[in-house]
Amino acid sequence: MAVQNHARDAQNLLRSRLCNPSFVFKALSGSPDSNYSKLKFILSSSVTEACNNSLLLLGPRGSGKTAVLELVLNDLLEEYPDMISVIRLNGLLHNDDNCAFKEISRQLCVEHHLLFSKMASFDDNSQFLIAMLRECGLAHKTIVFVLEEFDLFAQGKQRLLYSLLDAMQSITSQAAVIGISCRLDADQLLEKRVRSRFSHRKLLFLPPSTEIIERLLQHILLLPMDSTLPNDYATQFNTKLESVLADERFKEILKNYLSSSSTINHLLRFLFVAVSSIDVKSGYPSLDNFKTALSSFRRQPKQECIKDCSILELYILACIRRLESKEQKSYNFNSVMKEYKSIHDQFQTSDDYARNVCLRAFERLLQRDLICFSDNRGQGQSVEFRPVKCLISHFELQEGIKAYRSCPVSCFLHYGFCYSGISLLAGVS
Amino acid sequence: MPSLAVSRSVEESLTPQKRRLRSNSTAAPETPISAPTKRKSPRRCLESSPSSHPTVSTRNDSIGPVSNSSKSLAEELSEDFSKKLNWNPSDASQVSAVKEALHVSTSPPTIVCREEEQRRVFDFCKACVEKEQSGSLYVCGCPGTGKSLSMEKVSNQLIKWARDGGFEPPEVLSINCTALTSSSQIFGKIVDNGYVKVKTSGTIAPLQHLQNVYSQKQQSSSSKMLLIIVDELDYLITKDRAVLHDLFMLTTLPFSRCILIGIANAIDLADRFLPKLQSLNCKPLVVTYRAYSKDQILRILQERLMVLPHVVFHPQALELCARKVAAASGDMRKALSVCRSAVEVLEAEVRDSTNNMDSDTQGNSVVKIDHMAAALSKAFRTPVIDTIQSLPQHQQIILCSAVKFFRGGKKDTIVGELNKSYVETCKSRMIPPVGISEFLSMCRVLNDQASNITHPLTQLSFPAFFLIKTSDQNFYSLLLQGLVKLGQSRGDDKLKRVTLTVDEADINFALQGVRFFRNCLQ
Repeated sequence: MAVQNHARDAQNLLRSRLCNPSFVFKALSGSPDSNYSKLKFILSSSVTEACNNSLLLLGPRGSGKTAVLELVLNDLLEEYPDMISVIRLNGLLHNDDNCAFKEISRQLCVEHHLLFSKMASFDDNSQFLIAMLRECGLAHKTIVFVLEEFDLFAQGKQRLLYSLLDAMQSITSQAAVIGISCRLDADQLLEKRVRSRFSHRKLLFLPPSTEIIERLLQHILLLPMDSTLPNDYATQFNTKLESVLADERFKEILKNYLSSSSTINHLLRFLFVAVSSIDVKSGYPSLDNFKTALSSFRRQPKQECIKDCSILELYILACIRRLESKEQKSYNFNSVMKEYKSIHDQFQTSDDYARNVCLRAFERLLQRDLICFSDNRGQGQSVEFRPVKCLISHFELQEGIKAYRSCPVSCFLHYGFCYSGISLLAGVS
Repeated sequence: MPSLAVSRSVEESLTPQKRRLRSNSTAAPETPISAPTKRKSPRRCLESSPSSHPTVSTRNDSIGPVSNSSKSLAEELSEDFSKKLNWNPSDASQVSAVKEALHVSTSPPTIVCREEEQRRVFDFCKACVEKEQSGSLYVCGCPGTGKSLSMEKVSNQLIKWARDGGFEPPEVLSINCTALTSSSQIFGKIVDNGYVKVKTSGTIAPLQHLQNVYSQKQQSSSSKMLLIIVDELDYLITKDRAVLHDLFMLTTLPFSRCILIGIANAIDLADRFLPKLQSLNCKPLVVTYRAYSKDQILRILQERLMVLPHVVFHPQALELCARKVAAASGDMRKALSVCRSAVEVLEAEVRDSTNNMDSDTQGNSVVKIDHMAAALSKAFRTPVIDTIQSLPQHQQIILCSAVKFFRGGKKDTIVGELNKSYVETCKSRMIPPVGISEFLSMCRVLNDQASNITHPLTQLSFPAFFLIKTSDQNFYSLLLQGLVKLGQSRGDDKLKRVTLTVDEADINFALQGVRFFRNCLQ
């Protein structure tokens, strides 16, 4: 009752924290060696000392580049109000030079309460930009250009990049250009003129180390003492959570999960599922929450499909594999049936079914998307004559058959037969 | 005393360069500039070219004996070095003064190491103005070699010389071709700026108008010469090269009064794209700006640092920087940016030591070789090795299995085959492999960090990488395009083609510390 309400409130609080990137990355901004402090140092020196800077933030997707930049910009806007204006461009939207200049002019107009005319030409927009840079330079106001998907700006003639970086070379402007990209070689994409004007500063956003992850977990998951939840519930929640976090099995689960992708975004998704699966009745987190989260991410959908197949369908899949191993690139239901008959003629198993039953099984495989028609041409023909292809790979099928609850040995051996090339059954039966 | 005179003039010409703040503005500037509406009034292009700055006309240049200053410079350097004070890196104003002196946008009062080229251009322009003839000149060189900067200086010199010598000073027009939407707009810009008298407006094309004006004798004989400086000339290159031809042909018309200076990077632009001019015997004069050598970079850096009252850099640190940058590209901008980041490295070190209450901070007052080396490695490295080392385990296994797979001489394969190789590697090391959908998403992550353009050198077969690999960082970094390249496939995801684009040696080097991967890569 009361515990359940508290548990629900706690869940909501944790979920809202996990969805708020500035909260998450605030934990990482403490140390002086972090990307946050380096970025802040560069930008604040650009604001206070009025020197122009350009740099790149590089890292895989989901590693927090935009989040850290937003954090730094918010802090700087608080520290130096009215001295910074931010222009944001995205390579996916403003790829074209005309469009980009128009967007820059529009944002500058909005920021400085001027009227923006949509009829302005490219020339007008670029002259406006240069004039604004000069004015803001005289007024000691820094313009920060944030270019997301920086590598997409580097396609074509790179005119926008050239104009921006060239404007930063003049003494009258006070600006900073920050490019965000997930490609490590983003600065190699620049033309040599543009690259010469770019100061080769790069901040790498590498995946976090284990201490940072631990710190992050504690920062996010521990309930604060001063929230709306009662103190005793919160303390008990925190003690239970800390015991889970200190558990060796939890560390194993976390290591297993992060071994495929270790960006912070990936970790947050995992925590979200874990928090959502907290049992509201008991009211406290446990190790099982994290286990269910892991298994929900490690699903193999095609293999689970195999588990629900019938034996006949497994036979059909095995026959398709045999046909493929015999270098027969295209096959249809009739060729599969021929193969099926040849197996049963050879080995006399008990699984010999009639043709129409096999056709039903074949159609069920089509519906479940384990096989599909290889082209859409023969719409008018019946199912038996249209060529099909198999959508499940050899490994998945093998694993699925191995994990099958009651797979007959013959099917298993038939499947293995086509790859080993040795007549196993000749010795067995 | 020559040294005192030069230093004084250096100081007083420094102050007009500093930005003058508006006295009454703290917040948003009052905007006498209009928002971008349609404007018909011509504007002086001089103000709108991004490479010039408004203090051009107000500053009195110390043109002086350019050739004599090189001798006195050496004497001065040795004198000043010994009598300068030590620099205190924790003083913020001194640090910002250093950074400003080293910033790319600070233009030095005299340009050293380009005296010869400047003299050539200046003599050419002088001859044109004296004889009231037109001419064309082509300046070429790598980026960062001081072309635009010296053209500005030459134009100022020319104006002053013409005024002193009693000639009519020419009008100067600077155009940067990246600001043009189409290449034929350049003629419109020349006409719009009011230097060429426009009798009838709007009915004839600007190019035609210019050609008409220059083919007839002028009514007023005192029309001024026009000095046109065209920056980034290769943006005007079109398929039929018409615009470029017409532009240079303007100088060949009988009554033409324009001196054309074109700036670009390609050395053979004049030969390749303007063959007709040679037949007319009016090929433009070519002045090549070579990349800076180590001594030149050193001199320029020292010249810039001379204006500061302190010793900031250890001389060996400057030499290391000059040597490295000269070996790489000879680009002055890079040298300046490396020096600035070395100052920042020192600043960070001083800040840490004051945080830790270290008592021996006295020795850290100049930028030494280790700071410069740190700054150089940051500027010249590629982040590939670090990224490979910090990848999660399964992605590293994918890279290893790709390396093993491609060892056999194949260049690319499909994702399904790579998955097979990956699963075999996992099984041999008793690690449970992930499913195909996660494998694909990992491949996509690796692809995101890679390039989509193929450098012509990467189309070679894999063993050839080892033969070409050199120790030159720039060339090597050209070969490193990223990690894995994932192709397109219309249907099945498993049929996507995948190539390894990072060098095998890099993967070897990055992962050699881990025994698991060492065994994998055997």
